Amino acid sequence: MGPGGVQRDEQELLARARAGDGEAFGELVWRYQDTVHTLALRLVGADLAADVAQEAFLRAWRALPRFRGEAAFSTWLHRITVNTAWTLRRRDRRHPTQPLEGDFEDTGPRPERAGELAEARAGLLRAIGTLNPGQRAVLVLRDIYGWSGAEVARELGITETAVKVRLHRARARLRSRLEGER
Amino acid sequence: MRGPLCATAALLPAVSGGRLAAHREHCLRCQADDARRRSLARELAALGGEVAPAPATLHGAVMARLGPQDAADPRRVLAARALARRVAAAGVGLALLAALVAGLARRRARATA
Repeated sequence: MGPGGVQRDEQELLARARAGDGEAFGELVWRYQDTVHTLALRLVGADLAADVAQEAFLRAWRALPRFRGEAAFSTWLHRITVNTAWTLRRRDRRHPTQPLEGDFEDTGPRPERAGELAEARAGLLRAIGTLNPGQRAVLVLRDIYGWSGAEVARELGITETAVKVRLHRARARLRSRLEGER
Repeated sequence: MRGPLCATAALLPAVSGGRLAAHREHCLRCQADDARRRSLARELAALGGEVAPAPATLHGAVMARLGPQDAADPRRVLAARALARRVAAAGVGLALLAALVAGLARRRARATA
């Protein structure tokens, strides 16, 4: 099936899920569970990621009748994930910021550089794990996922100026941590 | 030693004109800072392409908890709650005003009696 077919297929699944078909929604969960879980892992760490992903899918299911298709389904789902992560993180203040450990798929660096890259990546993940939740959310959405400052501000409920300030501090802290490690 | 222009260049990495640009052109420290900044941006962007497989139990856990869907727009509910709060506050305000006016009227009536 070509990309157009996949798109049509997804539209059909969405229409069925919007009408309350749990099986169609289950198919959508299969398709998006890895990306939603990855985003959750980046935002809140391994400790809460599964809870955030699960809650995000449940919120998406409840809200599906209101999904008008103005944005792509994946974008809508990611926004729900960000909001859920934000809510659960606030609710769960007992948890300190978690390191970004996770069972990531190997994206295939060349064997001779694999060890070096893996070490650099692990250092970067450790450094991200030391950021406070607000700085981390902004850095993850802006620098890892490439969202615009306005999108980040809207989804986190903060001003664009606050986004800039947090991003600046987060980057400075990351650089300082990484320079300390290297 | 880090001069004020180095510090300004570090604070404003996106500014690429005027004195800052001229400074960056010959300052090795700023060039090294820029290189580190670009390298970090590349490393972070690369993380965006990775995927962490979801736990095997996630799908089942979601499907086991699917409840009813809700077509009501939560923004309308929030707006209705805000309106109710305003109406209640106005009601309390009116009641206080009425009590005050009644008290004053009683006092005046007692004074004239």
